[in-house]
Amino acid sequence: MRLALAIASLVVLLVHGIVFYDQFFHKWERYQNAYFDQARTQARNEEERADLAARSPRIEQIMVTQFGETRVDRCTTCHIASDDPRFAGLGQPLKTHPYSTAMGDVQVSGKWERRHKFNDFGCTVCHEGQGRGLSDHYAHGEDHYWPDPLLGYVTQEPWRKDYLKNLKGKEYMQAACAQCHTEENFAGTPLVARGRQLFFENNCYGCHRIEGISDGTLGPELTEAGKKFKVDYLWESIADPRAGMASSFMPKFQLSDGDIKALVIFLKSRRGINLTETQLSQFRTRLRPATVVEPAPAAANVDLIGRGKQLVQDRACAACHKLGDKDGAIAPDLSFEGLMKDDQWVMDHFKNPRSRMPDSIMPGFRFSDVDFQAMTAYLVSLKTAPAGATPAETYKALCQRCHGEKGDGLGPVATYIDPAPRDLTKVAFMNSKPRERFLESLRKGVAGTSMPAWEKVLNDTQIDALLAHVETAFTKDKRRPLKARNIAAQNPVPASKESIARGEAIYLARCTGCHGRKADGKGPNSLDIVPRPRNLRNSPFVASISDQRLIESILYGIQGTAMPPWVDYGLSQKEAGDLAHFIRSLTQASARPQLRAGR
Amino acid sequence: MSVKTALAEIPRTIWTSIFRHSLPSSELGQAQTSFTNFFLHIHPVKVNRHTLKATYTLGLGLFSFFLFVILTVTGVLLMFYYVPSTTQAYDRMLDLRGSVAFGTFLRNMHRWSAHGMVIAVFLHMCRVFLTGSYKRPREFNWVIGVILLLLTLFGSFTGYLLPWDQLAFWAITVGTAIAGYAPVVGAKMQFLLLGDTTVGQEALLRFYVLHVVVIPLAITLLVAIHFWRIRKDGGLSRPAEADLAPGTEAVSVQVVAAPVELKPAEGKQAFGLMGLVRGPFTKVGNTPENTVYSWPNLLMAELFVFILTVAVLLVISLMFHAPLEEPVNAMHPPNPAKAPWYFLGLQELVSYSAFWGGVGIPGIEVALLMMVPYLDRKPGGVGRWFAKERLLANTLFVTFAVLNVILIIIGTLFRGPNWEFVSPW
Repeated sequence: MRLALAIASLVVLLVHGIVFYDQFFHKWERYQNAYFDQARTQARNEEERADLAARSPRIEQIMVTQFGETRVDRCTTCHIASDDPRFAGLGQPLKTHPYSTAMGDVQVSGKWERRHKFNDFGCTVCHEGQGRGLSDHYAHGEDHYWPDPLLGYVTQEPWRKDYLKNLKGKEYMQAACAQCHTEENFAGTPLVARGRQLFFENNCYGCHRIEGISDGTLGPELTEAGKKFKVDYLWESIADPRAGMASSFMPKFQLSDGDIKALVIFLKSRRGINLTETQLSQFRTRLRPATVVEPAPAAANVDLIGRGKQLVQDRACAACHKLGDKDGAIAPDLSFEGLMKDDQWVMDHFKNPRSRMPDSIMPGFRFSDVDFQAMTAYLVSLKTAPAGATPAETYKALCQRCHGEKGDGLGPVATYIDPAPRDLTKVAFMNSKPRERFLESLRKGVAGTSMPAWEKVLNDTQIDALLAHVETAFTKDKRRPLKARNIAAQNPVPASKESIARGEAIYLARCTGCHGRKADGKGPNSLDIVPRPRNLRNSPFVASISDQRLIESILYGIQGTAMPPWVDYGLSQKEAGDLAHFIRSLTQASARPQLRAGR
Repeated sequence: MSVKTALAEIPRTIWTSIFRHSLPSSELGQAQTSFTNFFLHIHPVKVNRHTLKATYTLGLGLFSFFLFVILTVTGVLLMFYYVPSTTQAYDRMLDLRGSVAFGTFLRNMHRWSAHGMVIAVFLHMCRVFLTGSYKRPREFNWVIGVILLLLTLFGSFTGYLLPWDQLAFWAITVGTAIAGYAPVVGAKMQFLLLGDTTVGQEALLRFYVLHVVVIPLAITLLVAIHFWRIRKDGGLSRPAEADLAPGTEAVSVQVVAAPVELKPAEGKQAFGLMGLVRGPFTKVGNTPENTVYSWPNLLMAELFVFILTVAVLLVISLMFHAPLEEPVNAMHPPNPAKAPWYFLGLQELVSYSAFWGGVGIPGIEVALLMMVPYLDRKPGGVGRWFAKERLLANTLFVTFAVLNVILIIIGTLFRGPNWEFVSPW
């Protein structure tokens, strides 16, 4: 017992020894003592020497209150010679902070005077890092929990190794300069300016919002990107968007390392606040609408198509769309747009993509009308389709990108297309519709969806052969005779306000579970249903189908989907007629706000 | 008496005025020491040999108590630097780590002893159960013990928020969300705890006050009652034969504690206060018994446990740093956001069913734990580890304890992003 007690006591003593040693023999004390010694040898007079001799190591700190939240920078505890010009030749940490005319430092009668005095600015405003830390591991932000490691000098342990060489370099500090020097072409921050230019050139602004600069909604907001994200995350998100999040559909842009660096520095400079602004001016910035970069309108009679081609290339349309041999694998093929769409359609779609495709995810870019016209002219001039020799080759060239290699509606771009491409392997569906309807869809397309009209690309024989190919290759089932259905050619109920009201009541009672209370196809059950319930506010689609087809779909259901035959649940012909009137009233009412947005 | 002798005697006078007598050299002195010293009077004058067996108690109760003492001391020292404000708390943590003398070490000690106390109290409960020590007359002391376990958990939980880093913020967000799953009162309880609908300044202040005032006071009070009852119940539990003097045979006479009949003091009928003391009271050394003096035997044992606690804690604090993650970012939850480890069993259950994991099962567990001495009333098997008579009870308890530990291990090590199963290797 006594021996055990003695051993335990010894351990206690030992640990105390170690802790006390740690506590009283700091690295920074050694640095300071080294500084005092060196400075004494270089001292010019006795007085200075005595001063230095009287100094003993202590924690030095600079409190900075002017720039945002109060900062406590204890960096000068180790970097004690940073403002002593005699130590320019020494190594860190006892090295003089360089003087630079570019930073605004001036030489007055042989003595340098700093523009950014350390007593006013501290260190972390420009360098970042952890001002309160006193060991280099924590102070330099090497601890991977610390959000702001020394900009351009320190990388953290979990960062991707293949990016590390790109993430160092003092040019990263431009991001910190831009917190105060917000002028767009400030001489000291060329990479921030370059990044901003790239942000617009690559259409980043179409998806991402940065307060006062852009207002895209498709991607995450980047107003405070510099505060939220470390440079390695920013780099990865640009260079390899899906590495961090597999579900991201941000395109992989073809950018050089230099361009990515400029973008990262630009984004790192976005902190949501400008340190030099007062709260009032911050509020004003927030009120001000985003400024749009509008290139100067071109002269009227230039080569519209050539200019449009240039614009389509510069604006990185192929980052999402397929155009020739470039394929962003997110949005539809534009390689022969002129065969499928006309000027008006393309122009309307440019100005407001959702006016023609109500569920499109394409951002509305704010180019000038002249640019849109040029781009439209170029796109509708694309009239060469890659016609395949056999129906199978045609399918591969034209259909596979959406409907998939196996015809199951899971092509590479299918996830981003709403309504989703049809699953051609669903026998129940394929056998419940007359063959003429499929031919019609192939010829004329399906309004309000991404299915284009193929009549100018393929002739009737080719279309017929293509459908035959789909039937044998994917549906793989013999076409059976359709069951006779009791559907009147006309809506059995005359259109009236009362009919719409009755239809609404039935809709609320029976349909909202899947189609949603807003009839946008996003009801609570819709998440589990494939294909998704139809968005009944898709006006081009609803306008393109007859009452007869609406009523048929309601009463007899849509085979191969979750839409049940409501006639089995006691829905009468008249009630289906009321529902049809109600569904039409939705798009007629919603047509107005859409028009307004399209203007 | 000359002035000189009076002066010379001052040290001794002061000593006796404080300690009443010199270090004990006789049995009487040993008895007196325990009896007259405020800090030692919780000890009996003599203590059963069985109580001093390290293999019986494993010192777990004392471990818990000493960890609580260390927590109090380090906690008070930390309070000198801490500010319960969302804008300052994290900076204060950085200062503690960077520039406060012994700051890191203090925080490490506080953190690890808090975790240690949760473990020690739990193991202490297992010891008490597996030796059947909750049986008559110690039923209520078991209940107090269960409350102390809950208070320990709650104390640790409230302290978890104070560093105000991502780890703290999201652990408390998850932990209080678990409380919110209770039916009817859940949302109100969560609001009462947080003072808001989300974790923020109000929650920080509430947790701080609970952590530094309310819970320590409650624990202190209950520990005092816990100890006092041990004395009043005749010391630690032990088998009946442990009371026999060494060398004597066990008499096969059923010892039935005859309840002392208490009559209300009406008229001239009076009773001595000694009449209230349970059990046979004898003069010290009058009957054969299996006891030794508390001074120095019990004291040495306690001192050993104390030094061991301190030594282990110091070594751990030297080797491992208390975590400090990113500053709070309420918009950026980590994936997965995990509660403190001792609640991860609950979080694991919550991942199957919010109500059963968050409220149902823990509620039933606590209720069952509290009811243990009232459900299992069969005498016998007291004072021995894994007594044969208690096979069923012990099996049930071990199953319960192991299940909880397994759930905690799964929740801690085997759950990754989106609470999906991951391998820690």
